[in-house]
Amino acid sequence: MTRVSRPAWQEKPTVAGRAGKGTVLTGVVLAVLVPLWVVLVTSLSSRETITAAGGLVVVPRGVDLSAYEIIFAGGQITRALAVSATVTLLGTAVSLVVTVLAAYGLSRPGSLGHRFLLFYFLMTFLVYPGMVPSYLVVTGLGLKDSLWSLVLPSAVSVFNLVVVRAFFQSLPGELLDSARIDGAGEFRILWRIVLPLSKAVVAVVGLFYAVGYWNVWFSALLYIDDNDKFPIQRVLQSFILAGQAPQTSGVAAGTALPPTLAVKMAVVVVTVVPIALVYPFIQRHFTRGVLVGAVKG
Amino acid sequence: MTSRRTLLTIAAIAGGGLLTGCGEKSTRGGATQQLDKLSALIPEARDVNLGIPPPDVIGTRPVADGYTRFPASLTDAISEKPGRGGAAIRGITPVWGPAPPAGRNNSYLVAVNDELGVPVEFSVQDGTSYADKIGALLGARDVPDLLCVPQWEVSKLARFGDAVNALFEDLTPHLRGAEVAPYPMLATFPAGAWRNSCWNEKLMAVPNPTDGPFPWVMFYRRDLFTKLGVKPPATIDELYRAGKEITKPRQGVWAFSDVFAMIQMYFKSPGAKDGWRRRPDGTPEFKYETPEFKAAAEFMAKLYREGLVHPDIVASRGADMKQLFQSGKLLITQDGMGAWQPMQAEQQNVTPGFDVQPLPLFPATGGDPLAWGDDEPISYTFLKKGLPKERVEEILRVINWCSAPFGTTEFQLREFGVEGKHHTRTATGPVKTDLGFKEIANQYFFISGRRPVIQPTPQTPKYVPEMLGYSNQTVKYLEKDPWDGLKLEMPARYKSGMTPFQDKFTDLVRGRRPFSDLDAIVKEWRAAGGDEARELMGRALADAGR
Amino acid sequence: MVAPGFLLLLVFHYLPVLGNVVAFQDYNPYYGDSALSALIGSPFIGLENFRILFADPAFWDAVVNTLSITAFQLVFFFPLPIALALLLHSVMSKRVKSFVQTVVYLPHFFSWVLVVTFFVQMLGGAGLLSQELRDAGITPPEIMSNPDTFIVLVTAEAVWKDVGWGTIVFLAALSTIDTDLYEASAVDGAGRWRRTWHITLPGLRPVIVLLLILRLGDALTVGFEQFLLQRDAVGRQAAEVLDTYVYHQSIVTADYGLGAAAGLFKAAVGLILILLANRLAHALGESGVYRRS
Repeated sequence: MTRVSRPAWQEKPTVAGRAGKGTVLTGVVLAVLVPLWVVLVTSLSSRETITAAGGLVVVPRGVDLSAYEIIFAGGQITRALAVSATVTLLGTAVSLVVTVLAAYGLSRPGSLGHRFLLFYFLMTFLVYPGMVPSYLVVTGLGLKDSLWSLVLPSAVSVFNLVVVRAFFQSLPGELLDSARIDGAGEFRILWRIVLPLSKAVVAVVGLFYAVGYWNVWFSALLYIDDNDKFPIQRVLQSFILAGQAPQTSGVAAGTALPPTLAVKMAVVVVTVVPIALVYPFIQRHFTRGVLVGAVKG
Repeated sequence: MTSRRTLLTIAAIAGGGLLTGCGEKSTRGGATQQLDKLSALIPEARDVNLGIPPPDVIGTRPVADGYTRFPASLTDAISEKPGRGGAAIRGITPVWGPAPPAGRNNSYLVAVNDELGVPVEFSVQDGTSYADKIGALLGARDVPDLLCVPQWEVSKLARFGDAVNALFEDLTPHLRGAEVAPYPMLATFPAGAWRNSCWNEKLMAVPNPTDGPFPWVMFYRRDLFTKLGVKPPATIDELYRAGKEITKPRQGVWAFSDVFAMIQMYFKSPGAKDGWRRRPDGTPEFKYETPEFKAAAEFMAKLYREGLVHPDIVASRGADMKQLFQSGKLLITQDGMGAWQPMQAEQQNVTPGFDVQPLPLFPATGGDPLAWGDDEPISYTFLKKGLPKERVEEILRVINWCSAPFGTTEFQLREFGVEGKHHTRTATGPVKTDLGFKEIANQYFFISGRRPVIQPTPQTPKYVPEMLGYSNQTVKYLEKDPWDGLKLEMPARYKSGMTPFQDKFTDLVRGRRPFSDLDAIVKEWRAAGGDEARELMGRALADAGR
Repeated sequence: MVAPGFLLLLVFHYLPVLGNVVAFQDYNPYYGDSALSALIGSPFIGLENFRILFADPAFWDAVVNTLSITAFQLVFFFPLPIALALLLHSVMSKRVKSFVQTVVYLPHFFSWVLVVTFFVQMLGGAGLLSQELRDAGITPPEIMSNPDTFIVLVTAEAVWKDVGWGTIVFLAALSTIDTDLYEASAVDGAGRWRRTWHITLPGLRPVIVLLLILRLGDALTVGFEQFLLQRDAVGRQAAEVLDTYVYHQSIVTADYGLGAAAGLFKAAVGLILILLANRLAHALGESGVYRRS
């Protein structure tokens, strides 16, 4: 620990204290990593290894990619991943544009109808629509079986909007005022001055949106009938959590072969990997981006 | 709440005895329909002579006939393509497990759709959340051309009669009496299945007839019984003694899983319409109110108390009973008939000598045994309301094609796909390939019906005779249902009370509640919709003149 | 600039909100020949649906479950991110700290489908724990399907998913506390624990109060997908919360009027709770969620 500079006034940590701290942190880290590890290893195990282990595999014995071959063979998982990727990219882009615009508009008190608009947005926290009316609106607009049905109804998160707005409000006003005096339009100010200063919050809010879209499940249950347009979570659920067919003999006779454990785990892995890949790059912005929004919002 | 709903029930029944679902009355209270009055609505039964060999084992109705081997050659039942090149037919069906690929990505669907001459596009939905999905579709009045509604979901969907009336096509003019002629396969379905497909005195759906009436069977591991030298019990005392003999906690073996439904049957607790019967004075009574149910509950409680039930089962309702039974950790269990063959086929590869058998039904109290059962269809197929006449006919021809019976090329393709691709032919019958398992998920099965037969399976050649032997023996004791032929839509409050009260009796039987609470629970049940339901059941009988 | 957001909310939020009118109707979705005619044609029955709702024991089961889960989580979940943040804050090594942060934030980004899957695979009847215990000759406890301990299970799932994420706000607040205060206090002879008690926790107070208020205002929300996914495993009585009650009343039982009434009840109680909590915050000298400006 030589590279760490401890302030002079702080006492030297006790051995017991450090050991306790280490134990707790190791425990917390393991609680997250062990399930991930077991799932990954099982997905890469052969049928024999799984039978020998009696189920989930903790200690790897060779690498067997057959589970991945199976799930990518039919094209179903590939398609679902493509659907989810499309929804995520499209949705995040739409959401960010709408949110940033609205947040900027609402960050300037004194503009026309400002109080009403703020109230309008915040009230969504308290009154929510019923499921069937929402369903009717979505189908009424012809969005059924369209990927837009997974994007538009949830495109604006007022929580995220409040975070971005608070960040905008924390920017020095003089900067914007001087730009206005120079005759710059509001869009220009937003694009040239505000956004470059707000990379952190945009990155964080963008990640929030992206994760929301990647995890979409329930809207797909309602709005997507076409099996080729199922997003990955919907397929994941059908692989893992789906139950057994009712025991009517006619039905059971035609029931599909249950997916093997390795196949189930492989589906979990492909669902997690994109998140695990993207988020460390944005993680360093978390503290700065969220702090301003959450504490000052 | 009670008053309003009761009033509605009475109003609905008093107003002509039958609810003529005009869709404008509130139907929270329930309704009844007399099915025998509906005989004029249903198709004229007629057999088609397809030259299919006669069944090897004859079942006593409602038990289906059985085949012990696949016919050497298949009959081509339908020469004309049902499709007239119409637009794709959209259908929604359930699946349990991974959804199969859809549309052009599924070579099985492509093959069958080619034969049909009009593509059926399936949306296959998760079976466990199927009621949710249909609920949303119905509530938003957004139904596909073909909708499969399993029979067990119908009882969960409130105002279903109204929904049927508002959303689905009346099939009476297409199928009643001799009108069924263009659809010969549909004319072979049992009349009971058709009568069950009537709502609001109209024929509204094509039924998928059931192939067996029994909801529960008591299964035991014959191989392990033989090994232990225990005789399969034939009386309630022998059952108890066998339980004592088998249970050896040290070796991790217990006798029973939760077998309460079967115990109720042994003690002849009523089972019609979920547990109703008529008192000698003619008024209906529910099983909770009968001494037979009480005796059964006491016996089951004794099994729990003396530790003869596997502790994993005691701990919760979610324990994997099948797993424990298959691994020999418990030797006697209750399950649906459909569990038998797949379990035997799978486990005999894992455990040599694995032999699961049904325990012949016996009475606990003398006289003849009593078997619960009904002949309600597995599922119903509805057509969207407002389709043009030609389109309805095209779709019905598609359903007719999909309903071709065992022994036809159509059935073979529907059930097993293309030879060499989805199944391989063996001397004893077709065996599905991996691709077959992946792509075939009962899609067409769930938009059609068939004259039910028990099919042979190459892996378990003894299954058909054994299964039909048990069924034919047991069907003799099938309980007489006083409401047979009456279709009841039970009051909403009674429906929503079903599970909570079941849970209360579960607590009682498992010793989590004192047995002395029984009378109080029954009283509570009567107040919470029980008496309301009794009134409906009584009126239904009176109106039917029984 | 606000227009796109305004329009999206108008169409996908406020328009369907109007559907809540069925809370005052004996709504029959199958009346007439379209959903709109059903809405117009169904008779108004005043507060009858609320009367039925309040007389339904299942509704009170759902309310009680929701509130007990909220209370349980306030006691057993809410303090954990604070503790973990304090712990992380005291770690000197930047590398260790950022590694731990990376790992514990991750589950926040998993869907509930995935979180439930992990728990089923680890602790379920056929999961890793049961498998190991069975091999050791011990009968595994039922964790995933025991209604009696369900409240612990859902809290554990929530902790696993979000404890790391919850630390972010506290870590940020900790970094704003003036280190001079610590130094001065250390010079005065205050030990590690006294410094935590007298400087760190007061420094965190505004954030803690703010988050408490938000949680209280949301006391009737404990998650929807998490409970819907596990409802079958433990049964209705343990897993029914307000949101799933509303869902089942309207979608499965098709009693839309009752479902909407329950939804409105929830919104009204939520509003009252958040106003009360905010007053409490003002009384404690904190600024709360909004200021009377």
